[in-house]
Amino acid sequence: MGEDIKNNKKADINRTKHNNDKIPFEENNYTHNIRKAGERRLDRRGFMKTMVGAAGIFAVSTLPWGALAVKELSGLGSKSHPKQKLANANDLKIGEAIEFAYPGEHDAALLVRLGENEYKAYQNACTHLKCPVFWSKEEGRLVCPCHHGFFDVKTGKPTAGPPQRPLPEVVLSKEQGAIYATGVKRYET
Amino acid sequence: MKRSYRGVILLCFVLLLNIICTQQAVNSYFYERYERVVLFAVLNIVLFPIAIWIYFRERDVK
Ligand code: FES
Repeated sequence: MGEDIKNNKKADINRTKHNNDKIPFEENNYTHNIRKAGERRLDRRGFMKTMVGAAGIFAVSTLPWGALAVKELSGLGSKSHPKQKLANANDLKIGEAIEFAYPGEHDAALLVRLGENEYKAYQNACTHLKCPVFWSKEEGRLVCPCHHGFFDVKTGKPTAGPPQRPLPEVVLSKEQGAIYATGVKRYET
Repeated sequence: MKRSYRGVILLCFVLLLNIICTQQAVNSYFYERYERVVLFAVLNIVLFPIAIWIYFRERDVK
């Protein structure tokens, strides 16, 4: 760096001779008036460049979301999921829960039996940061251990902690003593 | 030397809009409102040339 400053000084002297230090000379990538290391990175123009770069990154980062949305729009608007048997109605005791995967094999979900004829199922990836939510029988609510998020088991709505959106509910039907998953409800806005 | 900070302020504002659009796009995706996702993704992309334009306009302003 010391070398640079020396060179700049030299350049300064040369310019002083030529311009008599009166005419501000036109140069885009100026270096003649650098006084300290990294100065160009801190100046107004450098800052504006950073901002433009950041805008570019934001633009690129929304591309995948846009692409996924276009795919979703062009594909059949109504998603229909296959029916899937979850459990026999009597295998699950009241107040107990089982895990299953629906509709895909990586979409973890939770089936809770709340009463004689009351079953509820939710996809149990926490709506905060996707930790698996579990059913706490003692507390009577769905609990996310990661950051102490809590969900109401009757509605799937978050009741405490960081999650803001409800858990997506899995639609259930009961046929011949067995519980089936038939679909996933949309988020309610 | 007195400089103009208008470019800096405008670009800060563009970045704020970028953040808002990204947030809105991602959230709408999870709410399955895909038209909104496309809308905000496009807005976000349009903001980039605007930022470049502001930069070139304000770069040489003294
Ligand atoms: S991931 Fe569930 S509360 Fe943060």
